[in-house]
Amino acid sequence: MNTLTSFFSLLIFPAGLTLLLAGMFYDWFDRKLVARFQNRVGPRWFQPIADVIKLFAKEQITPGIKNPALFFGLPIVALSGALAAALYVPLLGFAPVHSFPGDLIVTIYLLSLLTICMGLAGWNTSSRFSLIGATRALTQVFAYEAPFLLALLGPAMAAGSWQIDVINDYARDHWFAISQPVGFIIALIGLMGKLELPPFDAPEAETEIVAGALTEYSGRGLAIFRIAKALELVVGITLVSAFYLGGLQGVVPFFVKTLAVLFLMTIFQVLLTRLRIDQTVGLWWRFGTILVLAQLLITILWKGGLL
Amino acid sequence: MNIEQNLQKAEQILAPWNKETTHPELNRLDASLAAENLRPAVTALHAARWGYLSAITGLDLGAESGQMEALYHFCSGPAITTLRVRLPRTGEATLPTIEDIIPPATFFERELHEMLGFKIAGAKSNDRLFISDDWPEDVYPLREDFNIEQATPVEGRHADETPEVGMVGENKFVIPIGPQHPALKEPGHFEFTVDGEVVTGARMRLGYAHRGIEKAAESRNWIQNLYLFERICGICSHTHAYAYSLGVEKLAQVEVPARAQAIRELVAGLERIHSHLLWLGVTAHEAGFDTLFMYSWRDRETVMNLLEQLTGNRVNYSANLLGGVKADVGPEQAKAIKEGLNFLETRIRHYLEVVTTDTMFLNRTRGIGTISYEEAEEFGLLGPTARASGLLRDVRVEAPYGAYHQFPISGVTETNGDLEARCVVRLKELLVSCFALRTILDNLPEGPLTVRMPRKVPAGETVSRVEAPRGELFYYIKSNGGEHPARVHIRTPSLCNWVSVLEKAVGRQLADVPMLIAGMDPCFSCNDRLVTTVGRTGERQTWSWKQLRQHGIEYYKR
Repeated sequence: MNTLTSFFSLLIFPAGLTLLLAGMFYDWFDRKLVARFQNRVGPRWFQPIADVIKLFAKEQITPGIKNPALFFGLPIVALSGALAAALYVPLLGFAPVHSFPGDLIVTIYLLSLLTICMGLAGWNTSSRFSLIGATRALTQVFAYEAPFLLALLGPAMAAGSWQIDVINDYARDHWFAISQPVGFIIALIGLMGKLELPPFDAPEAETEIVAGALTEYSGRGLAIFRIAKALELVVGITLVSAFYLGGLQGVVPFFVKTLAVLFLMTIFQVLLTRLRIDQTVGLWWRFGTILVLAQLLITILWKGGLL
Repeated sequence: MNIEQNLQKAEQILAPWNKETTHPELNRLDASLAAENLRPAVTALHAARWGYLSAITGLDLGAESGQMEALYHFCSGPAITTLRVRLPRTGEATLPTIEDIIPPATFFERELHEMLGFKIAGAKSNDRLFISDDWPEDVYPLREDFNIEQATPVEGRHADETPEVGMVGENKFVIPIGPQHPALKEPGHFEFTVDGEVVTGARMRLGYAHRGIEKAAESRNWIQNLYLFERICGICSHTHAYAYSLGVEKLAQVEVPARAQAIRELVAGLERIHSHLLWLGVTAHEAGFDTLFMYSWRDRETVMNLLEQLTGNRVNYSANLLGGVKADVGPEQAKAIKEGLNFLETRIRHYLEVVTTDTMFLNRTRGIGTISYEEAEEFGLLGPTARASGLLRDVRVEAPYGAYHQFPISGVTETNGDLEARCVVRLKELLVSCFALRTILDNLPEGPLTVRMPRKVPAGETVSRVEAPRGELFYYIKSNGGEHPARVHIRTPSLCNWVSVLEKAVGRQLADVPMLIAGMDPCFSCNDRLVTTVGRTGERQTWSWKQLRQHGIEYYKR
């Protein structure tokens, strides 16, 4: 019985199918908003789903790869990482399916799996564009990962727990976006870096390296990577809004808060020019990390009653 | 210094090597030299800073005379000095290279070699630049006796001989950009050697869009050619037709009515607006700033609509006729154009503000690809790319033609020479254009639109230069007195500006490379003009003009 519920929660609700549809919806919302900001019409509501269906129907080409098992396995690992991460966050405003002290760290690791998989995928082919893309993706991980983690630790420290569910409950009465504004901004931008959204899309800058690490992917593999990315978008936004925007209790607050976060992210996407990889790294270590460390220090001092 | 004094000065400089001097036109000096005297003569002109090398034209004088001729055109303001070197047609027609004196000459020399079979002694590279790799050796398409039957593709030779896996040498890596690549809107091939993210070497290959237009021109009559040249470039189609008609009218000694000249300048001004807005969008896209791309292309629609309203076409306007223009500007059109210009001017001012104040965009443009004034001069840069470095290379200002005497343009220059300066120069130029266009509309001369052109153009040769949006466009036209031109040589501005990319890419980040390429506003179709080799899937074959034409007819019947 327990196994059955686990499967249900992993594959149908709240993760799995539901999450997939949510991911497609968020993907559409993001694309549509960006398009409207840029004076374009934008895609119709079913476009992301149609894209994925089309990709599944297409032939998967396997050109010049070093390890075929890795080539086929990586998208699946990336997808399962995103699905597993979904179990620990208050998706759709419901309490997480699984919860244990310290699940915050696990979730952050699971979210990084996608980038690692993409890096490996790029390394696994002999395409020059993929290789440069993979190098950039992995370089970028070192830039935003630490500040992103530190930004999520701020609310965790204030709540006195490293359990997402507990922090979510604690946040109900504490809007950390107001008390820790720096952390909020950094978490938001770090999430954009994780998802390789503009201005952090150097790893897939089409005018330089075509499609970056995924250049050689086509058909099913590409579709799975895209789904994984859409899921990560939802999970990431859920995490950030649960921590910083007064927690997620109920379906309506969930949609209002997460879509608001996505709206902020589209504004950044539209307004900013792509950063070169050296500029990305410089930005994160020179400003992001230092600011969030200062924030963390203040939180610690406040928690210890020194402020 | 007026034109005559300037030409006299050139004559003095060239005196020691000069065999014979003629003045075919008021602003031109022709000096015949022996091949061995070419290098000292070019060195002397270069050292005296007499103008810049604008183009090298190759002529095949035919089997009767048994000679070929290379024409080195130097331009200084409106004055043009041409060094003519004659060599026997058969055997080794060897010219000494001048690429070490004037770097951009390397492209001109390669063209001479590939198209006419001049041997260039001392050239650094003999790689093919324009002609496809499977083109047979010792077949030169611009020779008089060239026959399409000779151009059978050589089996087993293909372009792109880059290594399969990217490793070259130790920890070096070759990134191919093109011929098909999202950064390029037209086909070209670049190989950038990178060390990590830093570019350590650059190489380029052109010719993917070569259509044999210079050769085709020789078998068409004067009027047909007007429409042919318009199709060299989709962005600056008017300037090509403009330069060609100016040249032919000069040869035929036809005076174009003032109204027609004003309308030509009007269309050229609108075309410049459309071209620069397009460029702004492309550059923004290369930088990853898609919002600016979308906005500038949206606003570009305004000027496209104006051009359509004026001439009936959005791209190849066909506004020109030999001896005048086709499209008249009525009061309604004048009003519509003025309204359009008002809108565009506010938008251009806005973009000027964006490119100079948006921090994130400046991160990608300020201080990148900086070319100093001296370098710009040495590389022989043209157009906005040169003007961004403070070098005023603008034919409209230096050597006004057509209506630019009546409606002059003030030259815009910037001093920084980086990508930001190139953005600013282009946008400021548009503001100048807007102002000039309004003046033209307010003071449009009355009178007829065309004058009669003879079918046959008297024998002679002429040079006409027009400022295209990308820089000086150079046309050399030669007539034998018949219904067809004997030779038309076209040198487009992009060809001269390539040096700026190849020299400046080294040492920069890979991410800056697309920006550098975009920074000079390259136009590949303009670069490539000559051979018609159509490769279809699986088979490579050369199509004759007849077959192509038949294919076209069959294709559109369906």
